[in-house]
Amino acid sequence: MRREFLSSEQQKKGIHFDPRTKLLLILIISVFVLGGAGGNAMYFLRPVLSLVPFAMLISVGRGFHAALYIIAYTVCYVAQLILLPILTGFTNFLVLILAGTFCRFLPGFIIAYFVVTTTTVSEFMAGMERMHMPSKITIPLSVVFRFAPTVLEEAASISDAMKMRGIRFGGKKSSKILEYRLIPMITCSVKIGEELSAAALTRGLGAPLKRTNICEIGFHFPDVIIFILCGVTVAWAIFSAFSI
Amino acid sequence: MSKDVTQKVSNHIGGKDLITVGIYTVIYIVIIGIFGALSFIPIFIPLTAVFCPLIGGIPFMLYVTKAKKFGMTTIMGTLIGILMFVMGMGYWVAITGLVFGLIADLVLKSGKYQSAKRTILACGFFSMWEFGNLMPFFVGREAYLAQLQEGYGAEYVSTVSSYMPMWILPILLIATFIFGLLGGLIGKAICKKHFKRAGIA
Repeated sequence: MRREFLSSEQQKKGIHFDPRTKLLLILIISVFVLGGAGGNAMYFLRPVLSLVPFAMLISVGRGFHAALYIIAYTVCYVAQLILLPILTGFTNFLVLILAGTFCRFLPGFIIAYFVVTTTTVSEFMAGMERMHMPSKITIPLSVVFRFAPTVLEEAASISDAMKMRGIRFGGKKSSKILEYRLIPMITCSVKIGEELSAAALTRGLGAPLKRTNICEIGFHFPDVIIFILCGVTVAWAIFSAFSI
Repeated sequence: MSKDVTQKVSNHIGGKDLITVGIYTVIYIVIIGIFGALSFIPIFIPLTAVFCPLIGGIPFMLYVTKAKKFGMTTIMGTLIGILMFVMGMGYWVAITGLVFGLIADLVLKSGKYQSAKRTILACGFFSMWEFGNLMPFFVGREAYLAQLQEGYGAEYVSTVSSYMPMWILPILLIATFIFGLLGGLIGKAICKKHFKRAGIA
């Protein structure tokens, strides 16, 4: 299967969320879990927020991924709670880096994974347009989502090819990594990008008209629940910031 | 100041330009990300102010050969800021992305998007967005360190804060600029050596 960030096919089963709700979730989780805003006051809310990606994955019928996620998260969380006070020195550092980073990054990563695999480009654009985001931001942003997997794929292929020539970290020609890996990657990406650009223009992206969209988006009951959760989180963060 | 060469190309940013912005943003972020990912090792945190501008110069110098309209570099800076913010680098980077993108854009405009010196200068200014990633260490330092401590423990924080003392702020700010200029020079050389030959610059 081709790797893609924003899917081109609409999600068929499960609960549909509005793209704006999903964006709000990404924002909230990246601020409070990944960015760690709110400090100690968020100590109890953070695991709750971390459960949201789990619930979201269940809601679209990806039980397996959801289970993997919840197991990984619990292990890291427990490791942090139990192992850290015991260990010292290097092992402490290792556990710290592994468990700490995982606990921080995993929820954000999973929610981003959930959002990009269940939202189509059209839905994303429709949501952005409803929020009155200027097209000068939304078009490049959707290009970013569309194009990022391609660049990563190119980078991986070039990395494989250069490994064969011995241009790798610790290899004979490790000094040439920059020139031999970065430059081909940029060249490839730019050429693919030019084709992408031509394809999009053929479909009328550059036309000076207001673009229409056939996606039906709107807020429903599941969205309201997410909004309440996000509202509570923000309110709690503000409340605790002022009460201290 | 009268312009001798009037460009017939419209100054309005069209669909093609927006796609170009998107494409170069991805390339830029992927390249920065290679070094940015190292930054959970404490010593690499101040060093991001050296490596990221240095490496980022290559895609940026290629980008400015395509971005000949006012606003494109600003949009790129803003996008990088937004994406970095979503990736958990704090909200400062969204601001620095916009501000330094705009400054770089103005510098480019002052050179009519032609001057080689101005392009390198713009690269130096543009690279300063990177400083936004390090901003939480200086503005609201206590809160940020406490928050790091909660996630990574006291030992990590003491190491990090010894690498990131308060007095390093102006040094890092200047470093991003200087290494941005150097990155621009490298980028220019690489453009000449590789990209022109490949027919993409």
